[in-house]
Amino acid sequence: MSKSKADVIMSGNEAIARGAVEAGIGFCASYPGTPSTEILTSLFETASKTDSHVEWSSNEKVAMESAAAASWAGIPALCSMKSLGLNVASDFLLNLNLSGTGKGGLVIVVCDDPKGHSSSNEQDSRFYAKAAQIPLFEPSTYQEAKDTVVEGLRLSKKYEIPVLIRSTTRLSHSRGLVTIGKVSAKPLKAGVLQERLYNVPAPHLRHRDLLGKIEKIAEEFERSPFNIEADITNMKLLLISSGISSSYVREALHSIPSHRIGHLSLVTSFPLPKKTIINLLKRTDRVLFIEENDPFIEDEVRGLSAELEGVPHFYGKRSGHIPSYGEMNTDIVSTRLQQLTGQQMIKTTKKESHVSDLLIERPLTFCAGCTHRNFYWAVRTVKKRLGGKLVVAGDIGCYSLGVFYDEAMDTMQAMGSGVGVGSGLGQLHRYGFDSKVVSVAGDSTFFHACLPGLINARHKNADLTFVILDNATTAMTGFQVHPGSSEQEDSLRRVRVEGLVKAVEPDFFSLGDATDIKSLTDLLHSTVQKEGLKILLLDSVCRLEEVKRIPGFVGATPVHIDRDLCKGEKCKICARDFGCPGLSWDQETNYPIVLDHVCVRCGACISVCPHDAIVEGE
Amino acid sequence: MRDPYSILVAGVGGQGNLVCGRIIAEAAVLQGLRPVVGDTFGASRRGGSVMTHIRIGKQDWGPLIPKGEVDVLLGFEPVEALRAAVKYAGERTVAIVSKMAIPPSNVTSGDLRYPAISDIAQGLESVCRSVHMLDTEQVLEDMGSTRVLNSFMIGALSSIEDVPLDSKNLRKAISNVLESEKDLAAFQKGAKAL
Ligand code: SF4
Ligand code: SF4
Repeated sequence: MSKSKADVIMSGNEAIARGAVEAGIGFCASYPGTPSTEILTSLFETASKTDSHVEWSSNEKVAMESAAAASWAGIPALCSMKSLGLNVASDFLLNLNLSGTGKGGLVIVVCDDPKGHSSSNEQDSRFYAKAAQIPLFEPSTYQEAKDTVVEGLRLSKKYEIPVLIRSTTRLSHSRGLVTIGKVSAKPLKAGVLQERLYNVPAPHLRHRDLLGKIEKIAEEFERSPFNIEADITNMKLLLISSGISSSYVREALHSIPSHRIGHLSLVTSFPLPKKTIINLLKRTDRVLFIEENDPFIEDEVRGLSAELEGVPHFYGKRSGHIPSYGEMNTDIVSTRLQQLTGQQMIKTTKKESHVSDLLIERPLTFCAGCTHRNFYWAVRTVKKRLGGKLVVAGDIGCYSLGVFYDEAMDTMQAMGSGVGVGSGLGQLHRYGFDSKVVSVAGDSTFFHACLPGLINARHKNADLTFVILDNATTAMTGFQVHPGSSEQEDSLRRVRVEGLVKAVEPDFFSLGDATDIKSLTDLLHSTVQKEGLKILLLDSVCRLEEVKRIPGFVGATPVHIDRDLCKGEKCKICARDFGCPGLSWDQETNYPIVLDHVCVRCGACISVCPHDAIVEGE
Repeated sequence: MRDPYSILVAGVGGQGNLVCGRIIAEAAVLQGLRPVVGDTFGASRRGGSVMTHIRIGKQDWGPLIPKGEVDVLLGFEPVEALRAAVKYAGERTVAIVSKMAIPPSNVTSGDLRYPAISDIAQGLESVCRSVHMLDTEQVLEDMGSTRVLNSFMIGALSSIEDVPLDSKNLRKAISNVLESEKDLAAFQKGAKAL
């Protein structure tokens, strides 16, 4: 963040964090997940100055529960997460909405990832606001990202209701100028819990009360300064947009000559400010909806319009005028505007290209020396030895890249689902399922969501090998501390994976070394052939974390290729199949070469060459 | 000035595009303008393609450059530059591209060949107004560090006529963000590279 007077360049996520600081939020909890991670990372940076509590919780549900607890005790709280994280926390959210958030106030931030740049789906989390009947803000600028946190907390306190703020990747991960305000200096003190922080015996009456709150909030939203109307007099067409899509609309409107297009940039998108919208609908006969991802506002407005006498013509995702999947951008808006207004945009033309054959893809790979590659290499070898009768149920993390590694991973859905799926597969013997089952999880994922699945597998005697790739960090999202991390702050106490998994009394347990492919392969091979629940805890290394910890670190085992032994083009196993970026195929000589500036000297590839041509030494 | 002025930075994770965007944004603020910088860094740590969209103007523009509207394309890697150009370049686009290739894993595996730099240059010419292929490897070797590629490319950017950022502000932004003498020297070299 750099400064010019009171204006600071901030990403959407940094602005949200700043909003929390200005609002006087004292308790922040989250679980890392792209594109939401930087919200908490920024709050960690200010935590000591503001004397607030900031934590990486073990999962999003725990984060929301802890934050709600703080709010109940009178401490303003925030919890942030990625789209998929809200699924994990939703069970709690759909009860908390009824119980209320007490005096402190609770702002929940969810960062959706249209197009799934860093996610396994592109879900629209706004539906949780509707499901839970809680207010929803969709900031469209960095400034609004900050300011909606302050306003959200005010609303949450006033109505004792959780407030949801929804960002998407392009807002969270782009930056612009924000005019900052004062940091709250209000001292915080915890009070006693109020009565009846539960919904029984009459949850329907709590529901009734919640609906009452949401009606009042809708009233407030009619006057919200966040919703901006532009050029609505004499309009022939009205655009309704929310979130970052509003910035694409503003840009597209700049390059179209007509002034008879109105625009409502809607930030308070649930509950809808009905009167405001009905009034606008009465003044136009055509409406175009621009939003990421699903037709959330579109459907709500279409529902509203049933009350109107003359219903305008609606264009959007439901009518097929706007794509129903993927990200929004200015070009999509411009194209539709041209079509609907019959006007040409003031725009540079794009030249057509015929170079697509030059555009070789750039697939994602494991880093040089990454021990996850070693593990999948072992899986591949064992699978071959078993005549293909081995399935791998995977999970979410860096090791998810296993799906691209010769499809060494067969399934990959949610956090923790590897062991859950394995628990099911491991009980299918009676139906003739005869593949060995391996479930994989990383250490952070293990703490996040693997325990219930593991316990189920134990209880049901599932025939399953559960492998935990333990590199002692949350590598995927930038090395956040988790309960099992080897280095912990003084106030935190380490929880070891080993102790936890041994407590379920597996039929077989072993530690393993993921840096040594040979012993790893043999261990995996002998383990999957045993009966019952087997657990392997593999000591793994994240090479990125390693150099972060020890700048300039390289291992003690440099390697080179002995060309007298190497079979060259006839083989290629090291470069093509194993595929460590430290090894490269030299097209000129038709031999592999070691790229010294990439190789981390781990020595893992030595045992990969069937002809002993990769040898230790410079 | 053209408002917005749009700069697209294309490269590979780990090359420092994000820092490049940061420096240019900082220079825009020093110039009294409003920058918006959109990063795609989901895969940056895993060696994937990375693009940074920079919009400079008197108001905030969208975080993605519309197709065809790129004023300057800073290519940190030839194939990535071409990939970005095919998607976003147009009649106005001046491409400044480092010739230093970072072969993707399907090339190091021996499955594919990295395209000839001259073919990439031709491809760029077919979609851009003008193309400058820079022999960065030599320059950076002379300077004893490949880490100064950012500053070198920004130097080259500064020499383009209609760029709304003064060299003075770009230099200042480099020292604010990177705090290194070498980088300023690389900037000067870049400024004379076109
Ligand atoms: S695996 Fe061994 S024999 Fe085969 S290409 Fe590589 S170094 Fe040569
Ligand atoms: S020693 Fe082999 S496996 Fe390890 S980083 Fe170098 S090339 Fe890759």
